[in-house]
Amino acid sequence: MSETGLPLPGVEISVRSGRGYLNLRLDPRRGQALEAAERILGQPVPPAENTFTASEHEIYWLGPDEWLIATAAERVLSLGSELAEGLAGFHSAVNDVSGGHVELLVSGADARMVLAKGCTLDLHPREFAPGQCAQTGLGRAAVLLAAGDPSIYTIVVRRSFSDYLRRWLANAARPYGARFPAR
Amino acid sequence: MLLIECPWCGPRAETEFSYGGEAGIERPADPYALSDAEWADYLFFRSNPRGAHRELWNHAQGCRRWFGVERDTVSYRIEKSYRLSGAGSGRPAAAHIEASEEKRR
Amino acid sequence: MAAGQPNRLPHGGRIDRSQPLAFSFDGRAFEGFAGDTLASALMAAGVSLVGRSFKLRRPRGIVGSGAEEPNAIMQIGEGAAAQPNLPATRVELCGGLNARPTRGWPGVRFDIGAVNDFFGRVLGAGFYYKTFMWPRSWWKHYEHAIRKSAGFGQAPDGPDPDRYEHMNAHCDVLVAGGGPAGLMAALAAAKSGARVILADEQNEFGGSLLASAASIDGVPAAEWAASAVAELQGLDDCVLLPSSTVFGYHDHNFLTIAERCAVHPGSSNGGGVRERLWRVRARQVVLAQGSLERPLVFCNNDRPGVMLASAVSTYVERYAVLPGRRAVVFTNNDSAYRTAISLAGAGAEVAAIVDSRFGGGGRTGPAGELGARVQALGIPVLAGHVVSDVAGRRRVTGASIARWYGDSWGNVRNTIRMDCDLVAVSGGWSPAVHLHSQAGGRLDWDETRHCFLPAEARQAHFSAGAGNGKWSLRECLADGLRAGAEAVSKLGLKPVAVRAPDTDADDGENPIEPLWRVPAARDADRCPRQFIDFQNDTTVADIRLAVREGYRNVEHVKRYTALGFGTDQGKLGNINGMAVLANVLGKAIPEVGTTTFRPAYTPVSFGVCAGESVGELYDPVRTTAIHEWHEAAGAPMETVGQWRRPWYFPRNGEDLHAAVARECLAVRKSLGVMDASTLGKIDACGPDVVEFLERIYTHNVGRMKVGRCAYGVIPGEDGMLMDDGVMARTGEHRFYLTTTTGGAAAVLDWMEKWLQTEWPELEVYLTSLTDHYSTIAAAGPNSRSLLEKLGCDIPLDKESFPFMTMKPAVLAGMRVTLFRVSFSGELAFEINIDSNDALAMWRKIMEAGAEFDITPYGTETMHVLRAEKGFIIAGQDTDGSVTPVDLGMNWLLSKDKDFLGKRSLQRPDCLREDRKQWVGLLSQDGRTVLPEGTQLIGDTGKPTAMCGHVTSSYFSACLGHPIALALVAGGRQRKGETIYAAQAGRDPLPVRIVSPVFYDPKGKRQHV
Repeated sequence: MSETGLPLPGVEISVRSGRGYLNLRLDPRRGQALEAAERILGQPVPPAENTFTASEHEIYWLGPDEWLIATAAERVLSLGSELAEGLAGFHSAVNDVSGGHVELLVSGADARMVLAKGCTLDLHPREFAPGQCAQTGLGRAAVLLAAGDPSIYTIVVRRSFSDYLRRWLANAARPYGARFPAR
Repeated sequence: MLLIECPWCGPRAETEFSYGGEAGIERPADPYALSDAEWADYLFFRSNPRGAHRELWNHAQGCRRWFGVERDTVSYRIEKSYRLSGAGSGRPAAAHIEASEEKRR
Repeated sequence: MAAGQPNRLPHGGRIDRSQPLAFSFDGRAFEGFAGDTLASALMAAGVSLVGRSFKLRRPRGIVGSGAEEPNAIMQIGEGAAAQPNLPATRVELCGGLNARPTRGWPGVRFDIGAVNDFFGRVLGAGFYYKTFMWPRSWWKHYEHAIRKSAGFGQAPDGPDPDRYEHMNAHCDVLVAGGGPAGLMAALAAAKSGARVILADEQNEFGGSLLASAASIDGVPAAEWAASAVAELQGLDDCVLLPSSTVFGYHDHNFLTIAERCAVHPGSSNGGGVRERLWRVRARQVVLAQGSLERPLVFCNNDRPGVMLASAVSTYVERYAVLPGRRAVVFTNNDSAYRTAISLAGAGAEVAAIVDSRFGGGGRTGPAGELGARVQALGIPVLAGHVVSDVAGRRRVTGASIARWYGDSWGNVRNTIRMDCDLVAVSGGWSPAVHLHSQAGGRLDWDETRHCFLPAEARQAHFSAGAGNGKWSLRECLADGLRAGAEAVSKLGLKPVAVRAPDTDADDGENPIEPLWRVPAARDADRCPRQFIDFQNDTTVADIRLAVREGYRNVEHVKRYTALGFGTDQGKLGNINGMAVLANVLGKAIPEVGTTTFRPAYTPVSFGVCAGESVGELYDPVRTTAIHEWHEAAGAPMETVGQWRRPWYFPRNGEDLHAAVARECLAVRKSLGVMDASTLGKIDACGPDVVEFLERIYTHNVGRMKVGRCAYGVIPGEDGMLMDDGVMARTGEHRFYLTTTTGGAAAVLDWMEKWLQTEWPELEVYLTSLTDHYSTIAAAGPNSRSLLEKLGCDIPLDKESFPFMTMKPAVLAGMRVTLFRVSFSGELAFEINIDSNDALAMWRKIMEAGAEFDITPYGTETMHVLRAEKGFIIAGQDTDGSVTPVDLGMNWLLSKDKDFLGKRSLQRPDCLREDRKQWVGLLSQDGRTVLPEGTQLIGDTGKPTAMCGHVTSSYFSACLGHPIALALVAGGRQRKGETIYAAQAGRDPLPVRIVSPVFYDPKGKRQHV
């Protein structure tokens, strides 16, 4: 951000490290499962499609009965077992998927243009506003894309695709002057 | 490239989806009660209509939900897309596909 | 007059005379100005011969001024950056531009192939089909020669140095075409708050306004266009794309636009983008692409100097170039009168306007202001006359003019000759309905305008302006405004009132009178050639020949005569061709109809189609968490699906065979280690998980105890094997499933489909763990010792941790899950570990394994080891037509339950005894490794049916001879039999059918 509060021109890309991930499955329409999960997580589990909540953790909607919880890596083990215990009475699934994801941040005034080169979503701020997320394609990889503050996007990609996606982003951002090592 | 309305995620590009064939093909309750010809009919034969066609799509790159689409095979117009009524409700779905609560957007 | 530009006008035009640009054409140096196209610069320089025709090698000149140009097809640039087949009319001039005509050998001014033109009638429609079809075997010789003499430009000779990119975009209203109608539509939409994209193929917006002498709202038309563009630029969410051709209108209002960002091929080397493909999803579309002028069909109408009247106007008004000094204007409608006025205004002599119409104004020309202006300029009008022929070969020198009696197929008599160096022709106008048609829209023939008009739209689009049959400027502006407002209303926005601008342009039109073929002095099959399609050398006589030979359908005639093919896709010739065809068939034009309009409207480069998906970004490369170690070890990689896996790990310059032999022996004798992380992994849990998996897998899942592993196969509902893998019961209601590397996504989709559509009553959640877990397989007699040495918190002996069980453990201080499973037949442990820790674990293993000479091995050794054991690879040994029974897996098929595909195994076809069954093969010579895919035959000698094929084949270092696996008809009953493997160019090799298990058939080694 510049002093005026406007995003700086160009685009910046970085890797967010030290993160851990849990995949949560439960049926929000049944019993008190959702409330139980929210008590443990200490924040709302977003019921609305393609949104996320951000507090201690980021909780992303993945499907009508599926969420991705992103949190500090060292929190994953305990949080995972608390959830598994707390949800034991409900049909649910909690899986540690920390090894499976890589998180990237793309920001700057041209971030939207860089992403639009490989993403078919309408990223106009009216259509994809802060607080929204979507599983979609970027380049030829499947990603979870989330809109943070204006012109800041979070990308969660499967680990095996992350090398490819980093190269893709580095290449796509080059005309906008981005400096980002592909590896 | 088609624009397909996922009943959960809204309109998305065709590249996010995978096609699942004709909808409403119910698996016979007792396959062994069927003659070979009847079984082959279930297995291999599809209506392939000219015009309105009910089909299954999976939002493979998105929410991974299977849902129904009514698409015109001539104009490719999508008349509607809908959640499968049985999903998660304890009722068989494929046999009773109907429009979801309401179409989003 | 500028130096070296004899045809350049001293004033006017939209060129910058202060910016001269040097360029070369056909090896000669020229100069033009900024703002020129290559075509206008050539014309200014007095170059009238720009190419040779495709078949007859006739000299050709520039005909048009835009995308319709059929003749001036250029090769631009050199070497890898070369771009073939660009019309000179669409190439913006830039300094240093290097252009060559794509046809003409040895040169365009003297072309050896021109003798073709003198071979009279031989080269008519279907010539190649008829002449070179027999003897059939000679085609390859003919083809070589034909290819050499035919064709257009040359492919670049190296990887394209330019950068291309794709851009996805969304808008409320996409306006295709930035002429008067398009500008008005964009203004109407953008001012109402819609997100607008306006694209025009020219480098400046304005379209016909740029070459118009009219004024709008009291200012020159081009100035008005500039102010409209400025207004659009000031509006939010309005994207203006000049030099951008909307070339495709696809399903669901998805349109593709090719934007030319850098002028010169090779000029994006600095990192900029040469061309950009816009992939636009538009809620509404306004098609304002204008119309295309039709030539007139008369003898030798392809001679250089015969040009479209509108193009002549464009060269004069926009580029300040005078295409000729003494012109004859030949028309059947009003618009060419403006060309005559332009020419006269620029100082050319207009010898006459030859107007085929008898005219509202009697024999003197059209009524209205245009007629009056022409009269005032003293231009003679010959109404009721036609140009029936022209003289001159490399340049028109005169026109033959005859009376017109309204009979296209009669003969003309008593022609008079008029000297001229330019014939400006107008046969009327055809709206550019291409995109409307691509979108599935209907076309209606209009009996007063004599053209196809866009009718009912099938998608969300509106046609406007000349593309909608509105010929006058005032109508165009109003129609654009209407279309923009209608699009806005459809969006649910409130259209903001926009005033239709006022114009002084003459709008009084006298009706066109159709003239599809001009009669000649001799009959249509014997007169000099009357061209319909210049690029393909298709003539009136060719169409008549096609009809005589039985072709009736316009699509067939197109293919027989090549009418409408080529880089211009018949933009000039199609309608004339259809009309002539209708005439010859005695039908009405709408009865004959049009050929199909398909994308692309204008040629699109391969580069822009590929975008950035080239080189290392061509397809995603998936790598494991241990990949960097494999790379550092110098392992050649094998592509498996999108994964990159180490193929083998050569030591000291070993080749594949030496390395694999060493790796295999190491596993059998001591210890090998493999990165198996690419396996698909799925967590399945829920109260109904056993019931669900019982239906998916063939074995008795419910009988598995917690902690047990089992090999399972997944058939499709047709009974054919789909995928296989080891599964483990990790809890009462929880399983850990593995799939093949390539089958991971398909298996998860398959399971979800059944869960969501057919069995929603089953409570099961599936979660992919493929990327989370890495899998390291330690295999060989010393694998247990390795784990012990690494430090493991659970006992690893045979009794505590038996074969086909799994246990969580801490290994070398890291949390893992150990599986005692084996894909090599040796004692083995598969270590599943969080991918974040996988590389560290691998390094520890390599360190601890040193004392056992631990040997990393790749996919090739894995294949050999499993083949020695007779384990299948789904997708290699199976192909979608192989059942578990064919594979000898009856023991896996539960009799106590139903499962998907079980009923199909009882279909008569699945019960045939001669189905291909999976067996082992041994080469009788003891040394030939059969190529995979080798066909197997029952006996030698006479032609014989194939009885199977080889699915896997390797040299087994451990056994000391080659082994092969094969699918052989009735193979299991034929063990011991000798059959033959077909070998290319050699005698069939005898092979013996054996069991597919070559090594340790009792499986003792994995149980230790």
